[in-house]
Amino acid sequence: MSDAEAWESAGMSNGLSLTLETRPEELERLTAAIETLAEQDNWPAALTFRVNLVLEELVLNVINYAYDEDGHQLDVELTCNEEDLVIEITDEGKPFDPLHDAPEPDMESPMEERRIGGLGVYLVRTMTSDMQYRREDGKNRMTVAMSRDG
Amino acid sequence: MDLKSTREGSNLIVDVEGRVDGTNAMDFQTALEGAIQPSDQGVIMDMGQLQYISSAGLRVILLVAKSLQKQNAKLLGCSLSESVREIFAISGFDKIVPVHDSRTDALKALED
Repeated sequence: MSDAEAWESAGMSNGLSLTLETRPEELERLTAAIETLAEQDNWPAALTFRVNLVLEELVLNVINYAYDEDGHQLDVELTCNEEDLVIEITDEGKPFDPLHDAPEPDMESPMEERRIGGLGVYLVRTMTSDMQYRREDGKNRMTVAMSRDG
Repeated sequence: MDLKSTREGSNLIVDVEGRVDGTNAMDFQTALEGAIQPSDQGVIMDMGQLQYISSAGLRVILLVAKSLQKQNAKLLGCSLSESVREIFAISGFDKIVPVHDSRTDALKALED
């Protein structure tokens, strides 16, 4: 029995494994892969929205902060079971911990003073049940978990 | 992403359709700024057909809201899907851009 078959027979649904180049246009490929998985795995629209958002914010963070120039790569892994989804993003860029290095979001200032920095990470925080950053073997490894039903 | 605009008196109504994300937020900004006239007193963003928005899109809405405030114009939103409404609530954007259930409600709010 192959790994994939063993995975299927254990009642696990499929996941997603993708290597992206560090340029924003790659989001289109990521989005297409998420839509395909969402269809196969019968996700409600709200879950597809949340997974898209969490992945976009984290991937753009890597593209914008971990590297000074294009031409690098990052890995995205998504696994799902009946209750949860786990997403892992790995890159070999500069150490960047979104949990500590992103600015605090500004939620309360009046419009004219409102700053936008940190909002992406804040949205990810509210949409996930767990968020872990590790720096190991010269890599940034961001792991987030989210429940299927919000 | 597609943006269509219509005018009702001194108010502008923009329909935002599709996805606004990190790949097209700049296009969204250009289209929105291009549609707004200095004489506009109210701008209603109809998000009934907006399927997805991330922080890159919210950033544009904040910039446009700020520049509208400078010309003493109001920015309102209407017809948000449940997911978009959730994003607005979590980010506190519903305090910057008042959100209404329908276009009619939003137009009525501008008249008051």
